[in-house]
Amino acid sequence: MYALTEDALNKELLYEIIPRVEKPARYTGGELNMTEKKDAEVKFCLCFPDVYEIGMSHLGSRILYHIINKRSDAVCERAFAPWTDMDALMRENGLPMFSLENKRELGKFDIIGFSLLYEMCYTNILSMLELANIPFYAADRGGEFPLIIAGGPCACNPEPIAPFMDAIVVGDGEEVIGRIIDIYKAWKKSGEPKRSLLIELARTEGVYIPSFYEPEYRDGTFDRLVKTEPSAPDKITKAMVKDLDTAEFIGKPIVPYMSIVHDRIALELFRGCTRGCRFCQAGFIYRPIRERRLDTLLNMAKELTDCTGYDEISLMSLSSGDYSRIHELVPEIIDTFRDKHVSVSLPSLRIDSFMKDDLEKMQSVRKSGLTLAPEAGTQRLRDVINKCVTEEDLLRSVHDAFEAGWTGVKLYFMLGLPTETDEDLMGIADLAKKVAREFYSVPKEKRGKGLRITVSVSTFVPKPFTPFQWEAQNDTEEVIRKQQLLKEALRGVKNVEYQYHAPYVSRLEAVFAKGDRRLAGVLVSAYKKGARFDSWDECFKLNAYEEAFAENGLTVEQYANRRTDINANLPWEHIDMLVTKEYLKKEYERSLSAALTQDCREKCNGCFGKRCAESCTMNDVRHDRKTEEAE
Amino acid sequence: MRIAARFKKGEQVRFVSHLDVQRMFQRSFRRAGIPVAYSQGFNPHPLTSFATALSVGCSSDAEWIDVKLDRDMSLTEFSMKLNSALPNGFFVCEAIEVGDNTPSLSVLMSAAEYRVLVNADTPENAADLKTVLDELICGAITVTKRGKGGEKEVDIAPQILKATVLSACETSCILDVVGMLNASGGLNMELFMKALTDRWPHVKSYAVHRMNIFSDDGRILPKKPI
Repeated sequence: MYALTEDALNKELLYEIIPRVEKPARYTGGELNMTEKKDAEVKFCLCFPDVYEIGMSHLGSRILYHIINKRSDAVCERAFAPWTDMDALMRENGLPMFSLENKRELGKFDIIGFSLLYEMCYTNILSMLELANIPFYAADRGGEFPLIIAGGPCACNPEPIAPFMDAIVVGDGEEVIGRIIDIYKAWKKSGEPKRSLLIELARTEGVYIPSFYEPEYRDGTFDRLVKTEPSAPDKITKAMVKDLDTAEFIGKPIVPYMSIVHDRIALELFRGCTRGCRFCQAGFIYRPIRERRLDTLLNMAKELTDCTGYDEISLMSLSSGDYSRIHELVPEIIDTFRDKHVSVSLPSLRIDSFMKDDLEKMQSVRKSGLTLAPEAGTQRLRDVINKCVTEEDLLRSVHDAFEAGWTGVKLYFMLGLPTETDEDLMGIADLAKKVAREFYSVPKEKRGKGLRITVSVSTFVPKPFTPFQWEAQNDTEEVIRKQQLLKEALRGVKNVEYQYHAPYVSRLEAVFAKGDRRLAGVLVSAYKKGARFDSWDECFKLNAYEEAFAENGLTVEQYANRRTDINANLPWEHIDMLVTKEYLKKEYERSLSAALTQDCREKCNGCFGKRCAESCTMNDVRHDRKTEEAE
Repeated sequence: MRIAARFKKGEQVRFVSHLDVQRMFQRSFRRAGIPVAYSQGFNPHPLTSFATALSVGCSSDAEWIDVKLDRDMSLTEFSMKLNSALPNGFFVCEAIEVGDNTPSLSVLMSAAEYRVLVNADTPENAADLKTVLDELICGAITVTKRGKGGEKEVDIAPQILKATVLSACETSCILDVVGMLNASGGLNMELFMKALTDRWPHVKSYAVHRMNIFSDDGRILPKKPI
């Protein structure tokens, strides 16, 4: 039905449809630094299952775009999920899914790679495939269709979308992507059947071929995964870039015309995090920590400002204040770029890593909001989740910030954490009041005007590869009760704004985070009932999901609200993210007694088990620091 | 030093909004190493302004930007550096030094000229367009305008200075339209085309291209021909 030549597609698109949609710049491409390549031996399309302004904000996709386009034998183009208005017009006019660069039909690419950033974008994968006339299930696709792959943080439990994918990349994509293209190229020349391509891909570290494994269920729950292809590995170990200083970064990145969510230079200071907050998936799956050198970062900052013209550099990582040389980096980067009117922001500061001097320097260029994440309202619960932050730390940092002239503070909390009581919730309200008191304790002439405290409370979602992976989520009634309780407690508190969300999306997030392969059927059913852009309030269709679960003989409760037996096989048992299951069990037990686990910059906690010595880079960092301190 | 520069906005970037064009220029100045002056104060912003905005979907030969620099540079150097930094689709065609006391471009401008490519449904209908257009501009032209306060009827005839068919070939016609344009408003080409399509339902598609922005006295901007 979508049989148009490339030229017809282009013309139709520009003259007929685009003027009728909201934000046409989402679909036009042609931005600064976009690749100019028209063709290559291997045509790769990076697909982001959300709108342009979100997709273009994703650093990982930017890195892959650069790495693939650096090759002379490959071209990488981009496609984003069309927003509902464009989606409708494309279907109405028979326009297929296309790439921004060459307006090429998706089906004409060799490889299509989806970014899996969050669970609630899964139905958009289906909509992009359908608009490209590509069957959803890998089993229904022969060699005449593009190879469909996926990667990103959700790939650590890829089971809910596994049946749709030919291959899934687990871990860092920088090196694997090149190997996949090499293997594809050789296979394309060989004329062998698709299965030989998959067998070859299965030999690559970090590549999972779902069709080589078959799940078995017992009493309605997941039991185990059985290997059906003898040459496939028992466990898929995540791919890892060891040295970020020599690894490729984003080259000359595309500078969008329209404003995107993260519209600035993202300078990745390091990958991984050493803190070990027990709810945080990123904190476990990106281990070990790998830092960039100071001079690498300064050079990158200069090159990126020169080729983009951006007026802001964001020092990005999971906990930027932990960067070993942060106190040298911040002033140096601010001084270097002040004359060019380029400001610096630190998006993920931990409360205890707060730096008054650095803050004041940052303030001198431009003021941005201050966001802090105590996560829980009482010390007991913060200890349970191993968020090693005290109330004192928090109040001291907001005091410093208020003295430096900041007037807006956003506080992030989670509701429904393991062992949580109503007392913990009241602690959130108390903390907000104490922050307000701290503001008024700063002399009037030193503080700014108009205090704004935002208390943002999200619902806890248990995630794979965290010590809480066996935990159940609070059921909907309980979440609503707790939200209302907190709302009451914060009623009438001056300067405080309380933000929370309907519990249904977080519940489905828990389902798809911890789910098994049977959920692929649920996704297809929900999609057919109109589910897409599920993380957007205005699009979310609860009914579609409720009916989809019923149609597939499954329930939301069995996935989201049931505690998993600690000795059972997990649906993601075959994925190896380096951190051992034994370690996660130990951490889970420690959490129940509110025992703290030290930052691994201080001491090795043995999270990689026997592989600590070969896979962890932390020993060198600890060693370097001790030597420095001795000097 | 203050410079006024005329730039083209090509077909491929006609869906870039005015706000995005402003931001694009700030980034291009930084890439080009052109020393744009910044305002004083808590949130310094670059001292640039535009004669007027261009509707999303239109291309142009004559958009004007007014920029203040921290130090002097030759106009040739300015244009060359800026052109090497601008993304494909944008191009600076001329740069003029402007005295500090000269009024802003939005105050100087008084009219604008457009070329409209109209694709009609049939060649026969296309041939009629001249008559239709002549009739249209004879009297009052009331169009329904959608604004913040809901819908209202407006007469756009006083804002039209000229509207003729330049050429017609098969189903395509090219119109030449000159309309008033100043800081408080002017001829809205979208409303003009709406007025035309309301009375003549044969437009399959159209594209608007701005040819010129004029001033009354020829200061900086070319002098209004009518």
